[in-house]
Amino acid sequence: MMAKSEIELKNFFIFSSSYESKEGEEYNKVLYYYPPTDDINTQVNNVGLVEAIIKFTGNFKPSGPLNSLHTLKKRQLYFEPEPNYWMVITINLPFINKGSNESTVVEYIEEDVHDTIYKAVLKQAYAMYRLFSGTYTSTEREYSITALRNKFEHFYTAYLKTLNLSNCDILNVFSGIHFLPLDKQNFLNVQCFINALECNYPIIEYVSFLFNDSLIWSGIEPDDTQIIYQYLISTLLPANIETELQGGSIPRNPSSPFASLHYGRFITGPTNLKTAHTIGKVPKIFLNNEANPSVYYFIVYRALNATICLFVNGGVDLTVELFKELDAFMGQRLSSIASDIGEYCTRSIIPPSSSDTSPRFIYFNKLNLAYKSTIHLDNRQSGNVSCGKELVQIMADMNSRKESLSFAGETIVKTMNDYWVVGKVSNLREFYVALQHKNASLIDISDEVKKICDTELKGIFFHPM
Amino acid sequence: MATNIEIEPGAALESALVTTDSYENFEQMSSSLEEIKNSNFIPSTTTDEFLDNCNNLDNDIHLNCSITSTNSKDEEYLQDEEWLSKPKHVFVLSSAGKPIYSRFGNEDRFASYFGIMQALVSFVQADDDSIRSIHAGDTKFVFLFKEPLILVAVSKTGECTLQLTAQLNYVFNQIASTLTLSRLVKIYEQRRNYDLRRLLTGVDRFIDHLLDFSENEPAFTLGAVQCLPLSSSIRDTISAAIIQSCSKIKNVVFGILLAKNQLITLVRMKKYYIHPHDLHLIFNLVQASESFKTVESCWAPICLPRFDSSGFLYGHVSYLAEDCQACLILLTVEGDAFSSLSEAKQRVVERLRRGSCLEAINESLSSREETCMEVGFPEVRHYLYKSKSTAQFYQPHISAPYSSNHKRLMNIYKRAHYKLHCPTRPLKLLFERTPQDAILAWDTRGFELYAVLEPLIETSSAISTVGRLLNWIKKREDKLFHLNAPTF
Repeated sequence: MMAKSEIELKNFFIFSSSYESKEGEEYNKVLYYYPPTDDINTQVNNVGLVEAIIKFTGNFKPSGPLNSLHTLKKRQLYFEPEPNYWMVITINLPFINKGSNESTVVEYIEEDVHDTIYKAVLKQAYAMYRLFSGTYTSTEREYSITALRNKFEHFYTAYLKTLNLSNCDILNVFSGIHFLPLDKQNFLNVQCFINALECNYPIIEYVSFLFNDSLIWSGIEPDDTQIIYQYLISTLLPANIETELQGGSIPRNPSSPFASLHYGRFITGPTNLKTAHTIGKVPKIFLNNEANPSVYYFIVYRALNATICLFVNGGVDLTVELFKELDAFMGQRLSSIASDIGEYCTRSIIPPSSSDTSPRFIYFNKLNLAYKSTIHLDNRQSGNVSCGKELVQIMADMNSRKESLSFAGETIVKTMNDYWVVGKVSNLREFYVALQHKNASLIDISDEVKKICDTELKGIFFHPM
Repeated sequence: MATNIEIEPGAALESALVTTDSYENFEQMSSSLEEIKNSNFIPSTTTDEFLDNCNNLDNDIHLNCSITSTNSKDEEYLQDEEWLSKPKHVFVLSSAGKPIYSRFGNEDRFASYFGIMQALVSFVQADDDSIRSIHAGDTKFVFLFKEPLILVAVSKTGECTLQLTAQLNYVFNQIASTLTLSRLVKIYEQRRNYDLRRLLTGVDRFIDHLLDFSENEPAFTLGAVQCLPLSSSIRDTISAAIIQSCSKIKNVVFGILLAKNQLITLVRMKKYYIHPHDLHLIFNLVQASESFKTVESCWAPICLPRFDSSGFLYGHVSYLAEDCQACLILLTVEGDAFSSLSEAKQRVVERLRRGSCLEAINESLSSREETCMEVGFPEVRHYLYKSKSTAQFYQPHISAPYSSNHKRLMNIYKRAHYKLHCPTRPLKLLFERTPQDAILAWDTRGFELYAVLEPLIETSSAISTVGRLLNWIKKREDKLFHLNAPTF
């Protein structure tokens, strides 16, 4: 058997179905199209097919929105984030060349691409745009359709480059947040620090606090937290850590031996406060888009492994002085909190066992968006997983069919290579375990999973046990 | 699995049925007819005869249901809540977009809709690809494009795409079974715009029945048939009676005796096997035809697409006797064997009477299968056991809580079957619990077992119960399965 080809992006486009176009001017419907190498005719045809499908399926009054089209070679997913705006992504299915040289048969592997995963990719592509530019409707209303086209061009062309479709997996579906469990003292320190900050600087409306890739506190709404977290973890912080590695994170005022060390610096805003004359690049973001959209400055400050995000009312003028004052206020405090947390973590968090055969799991709670994975070795979607990809695919299978379990249930399966995967669903919590021991029996496996639940998820109730 | 059970109840070295996984490639079709005919030096039928055959078909077995056309507007159905709320629509159209069949409503009244379906298929095809399915909310739109027909299912039943495609394939085979595939292809080669309904008068009813049948019968999901429980000596006597009665007649390919959707025996010509899919079509034919019951015997050309899609077999179809509602089908390649087969049938009935086989069949028909509870498995609500080597399955009588909700049980089985046989990630074992039920599905080399259990059953007791159940089946395998594969 030959190697499997990778999942590839075939195209990605956004069109407006409300845009009345005359014959021959259908092109005006297309608001964004990738790749630009497809000629106008292809673009118009592809949009036309989607519109035909929307109309055809709509007639049968399905219970939910149009979701996907499966063909022999491709998969197309649809998302209508706002009325009449349609986002479409088309993916080439992976394939294997089977058979001998003379008669090779190309076999496309439909089941390797989960609708749920790539729908989540589409939703995230929307949420990320909305975070930085507001809703599509508001852009079109406040500026013009041309402005919307330009913004799409600017944003999505760059965004699509960051997509790594073949490494997308069940974590995209969750798009969860990794929380850091802390002891009381450290958590209160973080709380006091945030409260002090908000009291002293009323222009700071909300604060979020992270340590490494884990969230400790967030004052903004959960769905906003979700997308900000994705942005920080996948884009902003990795880029920043690279510069840190080049320049090093050195204490800024080593001159005074009495002051505790100050490692803080702004990640958005002025990069070097001593020489700064302008406030540098501070992105504006849109929060609370569902209820009451408002604009905030998004200021990110980092000391050691702690990152703090300040959401400042977008109506005020930011000055270099403000940044200097914030730096003076936060620098030492944040550095000392960060080093305390770091110490606590090395003391109390046991690294996951590295043995290949130990059980691996993913946990997700939709209520607080918390996830935990011992399968993924990092949070960067690098495809760096500690068990067979097939097992992660089976988890995605289970996740996509979890409705059939209704509010609670359990699935245990044994694969053809004698690996086991267990999925448990209870209300809005999901738990998946991969066990790579051969020759185990169903009873062994169900006992083993009980043990893992006891040690890893103490007190989290799963029904039926 | 802890209890390693060596025995595989219902297994046999040779099977009369082609053994199958149900999601296999549907394209496979053999061409056995020529072989049989050539080996016996009989000239094959000509094209003219084909047409005659088609006409015979209408006269012999099909009730003409006339299509009453009304003047109502084209798109009326799309506003009709009742029509829209049907859980599963099935449409058949020609590759040129001509309506051929709609499961509900008169297909002429939404002809433009068929146009859209055809357009979707050909648009995707133009990109050197082929459309499989569209998913929207709870509704799946599944397409099957098999030259020269397009089949579409619009389903809210929760069945997976593969299962829906398999159903569409059955519909295709049903059409091919009335016309032969070669003729079907030829018709459209000659006239792309042909209105196939002219040749398919009355076939609607068979497709309707086939769809209901395939939704409700686990046989279709499993790709197997169920046998009427009979002691093996009785079954052997019946097989012998059929063999002896037909011994002098040339080219009888299959002799099939069935009752109540269950197989009593199947005698085959050496070297030839019948595919379960073909057998399902025969079951459907018998079930859906009231006329077989009223007429003493029928002569019908039947194409078995998996056996040979290019030509007809001729079926002598008759119920055994007034006092025994088992149906005997004798399939031959000879178009003029009606009278000799009628005589053979009389001999079969006489032999069966002498051997008191009719009583045995009647007794089995009138007695209900036991429920799991009655035979000492209170934790098991229901199960399906498929012997893979013989393509046969057994199920107990359906009891609470599914007696009134058969569909729910079928859905559990369909779901489990799909998970076990998912093409790229098949599984050996599945144990799933929901608040309502638990299912243990197990695929081994020799058998598949799907046992629906009480939801709160302990895993260990589920396994020991299933072990006991397999032993129970083993003890009764002679009775529950047709283990010999007798030949003419």
